[in-house]
Amino acid sequence: MGAAEVGGGIRFALDGASKRYGKVVALQRIDLAFAAGSTTALIGSSGSGKSTVLRLLLGLERSDSGCVRVDGRALQPADILALRRRVGYVIQDGGLFPHLTAMGNLGLLPQHLGWAPQRIRERAQALAQLTRLPSDALARYPAELSGGQRQRVALMRALMVDPDALLLDEPLGALDPIVRHELQEQLQRIFGELGKTVIVVTHDLAEAAWFAPRLVLLRRGAVVQDGSYADLRDRPADDFARQFVQAQRTLPATP
Amino acid sequence: MTGMPARIAIVLLAGLLPVLAIAQPVRIGSKQFTESVILGEIARLAARDAGVQAVHERELGGTRILWKALQQGDIDAYPEYTGTLTHELLQDVPADADIATLRARLKPLGIGITDPLGFDNTYAIGMRQDEAARLDIRRISDLRAHPSLRLGFSNEFMDRGDGWPGLRRAYALPQTKVSGLDHVLSYRAVASGAVDAIDLYSTDAEIPYYHLRTLPDDRHYFPRYQAVFLYRLALERDEPAFVAALRRLAGRIDEQAMRTMNAAVKLDGRRDSAVAADFLGTRVEAGRRGLWQRLRQRSVEHIELVASSLGLALALAIPLGIVAARRRRLGTLVIAATGVLQTVPSLAMFVFMIPLLGIGTWPAVAALFLYSLLPIVRNTHAGLVGIAPELMESAAALGLPRRVRLRRIELPLAMRSILAGIKTAAVINVGTATLAALIGAGGYGQPILTGIRLDSIPLILEGAIPAAVLALLVQGLFELVERWLTPRGLRLQARQ
Repeated sequence: MGAAEVGGGIRFALDGASKRYGKVVALQRIDLAFAAGSTTALIGSSGSGKSTVLRLLLGLERSDSGCVRVDGRALQPADILALRRRVGYVIQDGGLFPHLTAMGNLGLLPQHLGWAPQRIRERAQALAQLTRLPSDALARYPAELSGGQRQRVALMRALMVDPDALLLDEPLGALDPIVRHELQEQLQRIFGELGKTVIVVTHDLAEAAWFAPRLVLLRRGAVVQDGSYADLRDRPADDFARQFVQAQRTLPATP
Repeated sequence: MTGMPARIAIVLLAGLLPVLAIAQPVRIGSKQFTESVILGEIARLAARDAGVQAVHERELGGTRILWKALQQGDIDAYPEYTGTLTHELLQDVPADADIATLRARLKPLGIGITDPLGFDNTYAIGMRQDEAARLDIRRISDLRAHPSLRLGFSNEFMDRGDGWPGLRRAYALPQTKVSGLDHVLSYRAVASGAVDAIDLYSTDAEIPYYHLRTLPDDRHYFPRYQAVFLYRLALERDEPAFVAALRRLAGRIDEQAMRTMNAAVKLDGRRDSAVAADFLGTRVEAGRRGLWQRLRQRSVEHIELVASSLGLALALAIPLGIVAARRRRLGTLVIAATGVLQTVPSLAMFVFMIPLLGIGTWPAVAALFLYSLLPIVRNTHAGLVGIAPELMESAAALGLPRRVRLRRIELPLAMRSILAGIKTAAVINVGTATLAALIGAGGYGQPILTGIRLDSIPLILEGAIPAAVLALLVQGLFELVERWLTPRGLRLQARQ
């Protein structure tokens, strides 16, 4: 993409972070560190707390105890706005604002930061190439885009101001298999090119293994296993980890 | 979106400037019944002939409104009755107090009183002649023998010290079926047999028309109600010619003359100003304004009321709605408070404004403003709270400050709901503003009031039809505004 991306990345850590929503425990005293420039996949069933990790890192939620560290410093409320501008965040349905065109969505933060219109347009064109979005789609409203196009625009929006980290929460969860397969390939390529800290939340083991060298398996707000796909497959930490691996169906061999 | 504050400012200025620019001629008030309006008109013409510029704020409502308005200087003079002064308006004055006593009592209040105009308009009780004959009721005391009679009294008579409560005590009347009626409607109620007896005034034109018998007050309970003019004493210094003109009317109008004038207006449908001019031997200003001219003026007044109150309400209600959406507990409080305002009956709301703001356009705008708050606050709140949580989160995660999120994302997403609230407020306001005529703010309510008073359906329609048309126009206008201001992407989304 250019010189700006070189050496990017944020170092994130959760230090004994706990979070509950009412009586439901989302995370219990969890310790996790994410190295600058690394790509990690958080996996687990629904309710395992994987989305909560992202929300804590972005300051969208505050941990009940423990703390979030960003580049070694405990995250303070006053720093949250600046942090969010250094982090791109993509959620399952894209979270695009329906009252703005794709271009309008992309321009929100850059406009606020005082970018010239020309610069915003050029950046959007470049990202459209990166994500292989047809450039006429930029003038359309979210309701006029396909699911895959919406996800691409959401990713572009997250990348507009060239953040140091990307947090993706089930970014491909709502897509049909063919589009999903295509976007998986593109995302993998993009993560590799950009050199940012990337954390992807998914419940799909194959997708996680495809994206990230490091998989973190969560269950009921605690880490079950933290390692490579090979570790998980060959040396599951407990019965749950074994079940989780086995639950990924493979087709029977043809007779 | 960016034009919205400018648009609101334009509405405010357009609405309020003419109010500020009003010049101040002598203002004569009248109560909302024909005799008072005729007397007000007589005073206006007498002043005009004496070379004093005067306006007649007609049909301002009940005694309290006029009395307050006079004390506050919103009006300069109005016709009143001595009985009302002794029983209702002044404390500790003997019922038979003479004019000199009243004059001495009014002076510290800054109010002057003319000598009696020449007729008494006392309360009386009336029944249909045939019904009275059948039951052999000749005097008020005869009512005691018929406890099942249904009485229908004007709301004022029901509540006043010298009205029903005192009358019931004085005659030990046993009737329990007593209902409140508008004075103008009570004649038709008694004529149709819906009630058996009503209160009336001894100069009412309808007494012979509806074949009613007035029952003599054999215990002399009702005080004398001699007609007089009250005026602000300051006028003796500022407008001596006007006060002199009022004083010259004393002793000139006897009961017969008054009843004839009442009948001419009420039953023959003559214009009150023409009848007043005939009485004075003078002429009304040439050229009665045509229907279109009247319609135009009332439309301006009415739209001004609605637009000013709505503009003010927008400026407060939208921020309140935003605050309510952000702080849940405060929000509940704000919505409850505006809800309570909404439950105040509209007539009461207008009357409440008088001690605070006097009569005329301002208090009417204030009352309508308060009514506009709830729909706008509630819809702003609902629109903001109803935004999908994932959109709120995406907005927060972008790293935009709160005010930018509000302006660029949240308000546009809530726009439909907010506009719907404004539309509701506007349409309700068009209807409610017809009541503003009661406190001298004009508008479409004026012909409706006069029409009810004169029992004239065409006059009522002259106000009611334009009000209905305006309500439809406002509705249509807001549909257009909605289409104009709702972001295209939201309309696309709604279609899916």
